[in-house]
Amino acid sequence: MTIPHIIEQVVFYFSAIMVVISGIMVIAQRNPVRGALALVLAFVFSAVLWILLESEFLALALIFVYVGAVMTLFLFVVMMLDMDIEPMKRNFVRYLPIGLFISVLVLAFMIYVVAPEHFGLSKYAKPLHASAAYSNVKELGHVLYTKFVYPFELAAVLLLVAMVSAISLALPVVRERKLQNPAEQVMVKREDRIRLVNVPSEKRID
Amino acid sequence: MAETIRTLSLIIVLAPLLGAILAGLFGKVLGRKTSHRVTVLLMFVAFFAACWVWKLTVLDHGYLNSVLYIWGESGNFTFNIGFMIDQLTAWMMLLVTFVSLLVHIYSIGYMADDSGYQRFFSYVSLFTFSMLLLVTANNFLQLFIGWEGVGLVSYLLIGFWYTKEAAIFGSFKAFIVNRVGDFGFIIGIAAVMTYFGTLDYTTVFAKAPALAKAGTVLAVIPGAPWAVLTFICLALFIGAMGKSAQMPLHVWLPESMEGPTPISALIHAATMVTAGVFMVARLSPMFELSPTALSVVLVIGATGALFTGLVAFVQHDIKRVIAYSTLSQLGYMMAAMGVSAYAAGIFHLMMHGCFKALLFLAAGSVILGMHHEQDMRKMGGLRKYMPITYITFLIGALALSAIPPFAGYYSKDAIIEAVGAASNIPGSGYAYVCLVLGAFVTAFYIFRAFFLTFHGKERFSAEVKQHVKESPWVVWLPLVGLAIPSVFAGAILAYPLLYASPSWFGKSIFVAKGNNVLATLAEHYHGWFAYALHSVTTAPFWAAVIGIVSAWVLCLLVPSWRDVLVKRLSWIYFILVKKYGFDDFNQVVIAHGSKRFGEFCYRVADAKILDDWIINGSGRAVRFGASVVRRLQTGYLYHYVFVMILGLVVFVGWFELFETHSVLAEMLKSKYF
Amino acid sequence: MIALSNYLILGAILFSLSIAGFVLNRRNVITLLMCVELMLLAVNMNFIAFSHYLNDIKGQVFVFFILTVAAAETAIGLAIVVLLYRNKKTIDVQELDSLKG
Repeated sequence: MTIPHIIEQVVFYFSAIMVVISGIMVIAQRNPVRGALALVLAFVFSAVLWILLESEFLALALIFVYVGAVMTLFLFVVMMLDMDIEPMKRNFVRYLPIGLFISVLVLAFMIYVVAPEHFGLSKYAKPLHASAAYSNVKELGHVLYTKFVYPFELAAVLLLVAMVSAISLALPVVRERKLQNPAEQVMVKREDRIRLVNVPSEKRID
Repeated sequence: MAETIRTLSLIIVLAPLLGAILAGLFGKVLGRKTSHRVTVLLMFVAFFAACWVWKLTVLDHGYLNSVLYIWGESGNFTFNIGFMIDQLTAWMMLLVTFVSLLVHIYSIGYMADDSGYQRFFSYVSLFTFSMLLLVTANNFLQLFIGWEGVGLVSYLLIGFWYTKEAAIFGSFKAFIVNRVGDFGFIIGIAAVMTYFGTLDYTTVFAKAPALAKAGTVLAVIPGAPWAVLTFICLALFIGAMGKSAQMPLHVWLPESMEGPTPISALIHAATMVTAGVFMVARLSPMFELSPTALSVVLVIGATGALFTGLVAFVQHDIKRVIAYSTLSQLGYMMAAMGVSAYAAGIFHLMMHGCFKALLFLAAGSVILGMHHEQDMRKMGGLRKYMPITYITFLIGALALSAIPPFAGYYSKDAIIEAVGAASNIPGSGYAYVCLVLGAFVTAFYIFRAFFLTFHGKERFSAEVKQHVKESPWVVWLPLVGLAIPSVFAGAILAYPLLYASPSWFGKSIFVAKGNNVLATLAEHYHGWFAYALHSVTTAPFWAAVIGIVSAWVLCLLVPSWRDVLVKRLSWIYFILVKKYGFDDFNQVVIAHGSKRFGEFCYRVADAKILDDWIINGSGRAVRFGASVVRRLQTGYLYHYVFVMILGLVVFVGWFELFETHSVLAEMLKSKYF
Repeated sequence: MIALSNYLILGAILFSLSIAGFVLNRRNVITLLMCVELMLLAVNMNFIAFSHYLNDIKGQVFVFFILTVAAAETAIGLAIVVLLYRNKKTIDVQELDSLKG
């Protein structure tokens, strides 16, 4: 089954525009919760684009891992931290020109490099669609478990380390160390340490 | 015979060095007694060998000029260590080892209670070694090594009691003033090196007449050319002025009396200070060629002979009186050099070495008896307590005052007559007057010291009186040993050394044809006794007698006249007490001047320019730069990220826009893309 | 037919957006972390596009690892944010200036 070109183009442009819009929302939202949700949207539409590029496994992984796990974590943290949403207009406007200038400049450079005359269809023809029997998961798994098995195992270890370190960082521990405070030591006064007591002497017993 | 001389000379030079090493490095192990025994024994060996060498050279006309080894080579120049043993050297070796031996013995008694006993003996032996190295040298460099060696030991020994402030001051002064002289000396040596291409005596002497004839000149001050030989001689003479304490570089010698008395006798009377005189005599073939240099030597020597003697009038320290006397006598020797009477100068050097060492050692014996009291105002009437010292001091004083037939008479009178006879040298008239007056001065101050010390009332305390007694035999034995030549040597040696032809100096002293004043004097010499009788017709003798009598009158007969004189001539007294202001001049102008200059440098160059401008300035510049740059360090994460991105943009933009052959452009063109 | 350059330009736009996010954001660290995620997404987009057009599965393998590392990074980053908040009572980037010299 082949998808007509026009549908493909419609899907691509729609998803691309949605990705860009949700990207703008990510950086422009004042509320981090909404920002996170916009990022989720960006991920979802990216997944759509990745499916168009016939990498179904990664598209799904993006949804599962990112939308399902990472962004949830983000939302957890955002909501856990009780932060006040203060107006950011002033700074935003103040830094808008320089931010826009820089990002537009970077964009211009990159578009100059990846312009259609370098990477257009004339240079890189659209590959044929894979047959129905093709399984992206199988192909990827085949490579991952043979050629890239060591990096794969390393990635697993990395995740374990990340988990352990995240827990050890975030876990509230009882402070058992007794640190000295130099400032306090320097500023100590005589009166803090010594108390003169006037003890009346007893009368001599003759 | 040369081989024998060579071996003996080696023994003479190295024996004291061995003694110095043994006493100096192993003094603790050897102990006090063994240390002085070893050094005295080695000195005795050296003295014995010196006597032998004297016989071989002076009597048997032996001669040695050989290189022991080559010390260094540089291009065409070789620096040798070698011996030149001729009659002059033999006499000097004899004198040095003789006085040194007696001083060694004397020191056993004098230094008996001192904690630095072994150190002292080590120094004295080291000094003897250096002095012998100096006199045996056959080239200028070795002369200079010995020269500096004796200077060093002199410094060490003046500051021997290094906890005494005056001793430290004196040792510094001696060292610094000698540096001034050595500066001239080394310039002279460098000039010799430049114009002769070698430092060997014989070669230089052989080439000197040619150089004088060629009339080579040297513009020391632009526009005023000097004959090269004159320049060399004067530069070398500046060295001699420092070492032999000629005016105006004499200031260190009185100060050197802070050292132990045996040292004053050995170094600052008999040997080291005469090194300059010896050097002029040794270099007579060069000085003879420069009348200007001779004239300078004469005038400076005669000036010193009179004026330093005058200062001795007002000194109260017995050692200082003798020290100023030494200055004066060195002036006599230099004056003799100036009129080409080298033989007379060296003769006086040797006689002076005996009687001045005698005077010093006798003074030391007095000091020892008085428990290190040196002020003559606190002495008096000592002749009852110290008879041997009394007699020997009297002999020394008579010899110094040139009373016939004592040793000093023959040498000193020869000098005065030589100066009187040498009318062709500029300044000889002035010099003659100075020297005759000097004869009076000499007799006066030494007999003043003599009367104050040994005659008159006993001015010391009763406590001292209980202790005062004759010194032990190790102390008076050297006195006797020195008194004997002080009485007889002059009469015996005068003829063969001065007037005989050839004399006992042989060819070791060169006198140009027209300058030989001693030859003219020789015509009037008819034996020692006649010469002694002849004295009653000469001015110096009567000057000396007047000196002795006036000293007796002023010190013993009517002491009140002294106060009257001081009052009447108070300005002269003031000048003499101030020692012509040399010390004050040095202290105020040179010492304080350089201190001021140093402070100026410190304040302006160091504190202001270096510290403030360069060091603190760079610090301030860094601080200022940092205060500007620090504003970039906001601490905000996003600023850093921003700067990173900006850097990335600039970097990538640079590559994309300006580098056509950049990596990126190549990548884009490559087949893969 | 969608050209490769279209995907690449989309990646570039996302990348510039996240840069703008870095520069403009003055509020909290979490938004910065989200911008990092967006940036990684842009990179992943490029990888997958190249993988597809060059018919090479290795690009996807790379993305796989990037996802892994990004997940780890996010976990640790958020843990640090929590710790930061616990210690400083704020995650406002304008108040986090202890790096200032």
